[in-house]
Amino acid sequence: MSIKDVLSPFTAWKNLFRDPVSIRDPLNRAAAPRYRGFHQNDVAQCIGCGTCEDICQNGAIDMVPVEGIATKQGDSGLRPRIDYGRCCWCALCVDVCMTHSLSMSNVYTWVDGDPDAFRFTPGVDKKPWDDAALGYRRPEEHRLTGRVRAPMGEIEPAERIDSFAEIVDGYDVAEAQFEADRCVSCGLCVATCPTHMAIPQYIKAIRDGDYDLGVSLLYESNPFSGICGRVCTHKCETTCATRHEGEPIAIRWLKRHIMDQVSVDQIKRVLVKPTAPTGRKVAIVGAGPAGLTAAFDLAKQGHQVTVYEALDQPGGMTRWGIPEYRLPYDIIDQDVDIIRSVGVDIRCNARIGTDITLDQLKADHDAVLLGLGLQLGRATRIPGSEHADVRKAVDLLRLATAGEPIAGGTPREVVVIGGGNVAMDIARTLARLQQQAYGEVKVILTALEDRAHFLADPEEIKEAGEEGVIILDARGPQQVVVENGSVTGLKTWRVKAIFDEQGRFAPSYDEADAQFHPGSMVVEAIGQMTDASLLGDAMTEQLAWQRGRLQVDVGGRTSASWLWAAGDMVRGPDVVSAVADGHRVAASIHAALQEGIAK
Amino acid sequence: MTMRELYDRTKALFPLGELIEQRSGGNNDLVFVTVPAAHLRATILHLRDKEGFSHLVLLTAVDWLEEGQFQLTYLLNNRQQAYDLGLRVMISRDSATMESIHDVWPTAATYQRELREMFGIDFPGSPRIEEEFILEGWNDIPPYRRDFDTLKYAQEKFSERPGRKTHDPETHMRQQLYPDMSPTGK
Ligand code: SF4
Ligand code: SF4
Repeated sequence: MSIKDVLSPFTAWKNLFRDPVSIRDPLNRAAAPRYRGFHQNDVAQCIGCGTCEDICQNGAIDMVPVEGIATKQGDSGLRPRIDYGRCCWCALCVDVCMTHSLSMSNVYTWVDGDPDAFRFTPGVDKKPWDDAALGYRRPEEHRLTGRVRAPMGEIEPAERIDSFAEIVDGYDVAEAQFEADRCVSCGLCVATCPTHMAIPQYIKAIRDGDYDLGVSLLYESNPFSGICGRVCTHKCETTCATRHEGEPIAIRWLKRHIMDQVSVDQIKRVLVKPTAPTGRKVAIVGAGPAGLTAAFDLAKQGHQVTVYEALDQPGGMTRWGIPEYRLPYDIIDQDVDIIRSVGVDIRCNARIGTDITLDQLKADHDAVLLGLGLQLGRATRIPGSEHADVRKAVDLLRLATAGEPIAGGTPREVVVIGGGNVAMDIARTLARLQQQAYGEVKVILTALEDRAHFLADPEEIKEAGEEGVIILDARGPQQVVVENGSVTGLKTWRVKAIFDEQGRFAPSYDEADAQFHPGSMVVEAIGQMTDASLLGDAMTEQLAWQRGRLQVDVGGRTSASWLWAAGDMVRGPDVVSAVADGHRVAASIHAALQEGIAK
Repeated sequence: MTMRELYDRTKALFPLGELIEQRSGGNNDLVFVTVPAAHLRATILHLRDKEGFSHLVLLTAVDWLEEGQFQLTYLLNNRQQAYDLGLRVMISRDSATMESIHDVWPTAATYQRELREMFGIDFPGSPRIEEEFILEGWNDIPPYRRDFDTLKYAQEKFSERPGRKTHDPETHMRQQLYPDMSPTGK
């Protein structure tokens, strides 16, 4: 206790020897129904966002860990503890509570000789008023945070269907400020982002109009920010605190907004400069998100990095797999340009095994990283699927990016097998090509999952529907029907269940519910795998594998000490996960190079 | 008499702003209207003596910090008709001075003392206007001004009970869920 606490209430001292003015409540009446008394917290609803702590003008709240409440995605595991020595019963914390879990009972009388008893965690430390039915509950009209997103402008379906122009407009400054204003800066989203971007901090930079800071925060964790700002799977938004009371913050669009506001030169200016050259050399195979992220990190750490790309332009699946209407190519060019600017040497048209061998890479470098991606489409292997007009989605998407025609021309009528984002991408791409060529869309998409369990993003499904793609759920492909040497369509059965009782993938069908979907082409979009043939037989034999995937440690190192692997080929297909993996593997390579033990 | 009729009559005499009907359901018995500071006294004298608004319900203020203005609201009541009429006066936040009306309604003096203490709005000539009202020994900017930082004040003035400790959710989650993974671009 400080001296001022002892001395300041002089005015109270003079009352010391008077008779008390207060009297015991003779009726022991309950307080008014909406009286603001001791807090109640439904700790199962509370997500530990700390917004109550932030708003309290008396500094009465601490966020504390609670035994039995685990930290998990979307819940910090912390709960508010209130110091009633400071609380003034204003109820701001109740009004701002993001989950509506916090309220106040109408109980306010409590006598205890121990001042520390008046500091407790409502809902955790049991109190007689925990179940009180009366008290202050936030009135419906008291909303301190906005519940609705700043709307995003989009090209209308009728206008966009015959074009590959980007659909989404992006936010202007006023819209972005509005959206950024809804963020309560709790930071719950950061744990969910695979690369743990500084989300609340860059959103604050938007609020403050400080785009230099904003973009430098983006580049701290994600050199694919332009790309992720458009096509990220935005898992972060699934744990945003604001989703409990309304729409989650449009985190992805805010990231895009920062990237839209800054010029390439501005980004290069704020980038952390590479350290002095170390003399170490790293070869990276594959110029996709994982490989280039690792390249970016390693180049900044002073290593000499060369990236070998088999195709004629860098970007990996972001370029060759994602359609232009979602991700314009100049955005990829810009992200890649900035990665190059820290000294990364990217060599295109350099296919390992043909143009240069893995042995050569090993001989010329201190470490080699494989970021091959998943460029081979998986096959359904159903009868008829070996026909030339049964194609893989990834192959067709690659043709679309290259601007090359489909052999035999754009099909007038097509059936797509698959329910993920790649299936949507190829369905929507073919729909556009059909509209351009024939003035009408005839695309049927058959997915194994039912609507409630679709793998594709909801907005992809919605937009595909708007563009005329017919989406059929719970259909299992049985046979590609071929008549007189030509594909005429796909036969499906209704799916009863996808997994068996042990949770293994083993679809069961209702054979009575058979359908025929007409089409002169069938496209398989049921997943991808890595083409690891470049490793060659000897190397494949030598490395350790696990279920068809190269076995790596947490840092991405394979069983060969000079060889690492990263990205989709070891994790799973998602740009931002590949970025996170790129960082992780770069750290592992850097550590090994410093120890000088690579090779 | 409706509030609208009263408004039209009064507007013929004084430069009133537009009529804002706050309780529009039922009999429209709560309305607000702005009046220039220089015309406040004449307006309330007229309303008191000619229109039956015999009672000052309250006098309060709003700090429109961004606009550099204080809004004073004089809420008058006509008991006979059960009407409430709020007169809003905008004054500059810089000099923050307003003519006193304690001679029109003595109760105004108490409100004016409170406004002087909580907002720093002066009412020269109002009884005991200089005296402390409820804040004893206050030595900061008036606490109802929006640029007063309540939390900072509370933290400086009141010591915390020993043993308090808080946790930042983002940091706590990193420690619990991904302690080894910092964004390595740093
Ligand atoms: S009621 Fe007011 S003072 Fe008390 S803990 Fe909540 S915000 Fe803080
Ligand atoms: S604002 Fe509500 S949900 Fe968030 S920590 Fe406080 S009580 Fe829990």
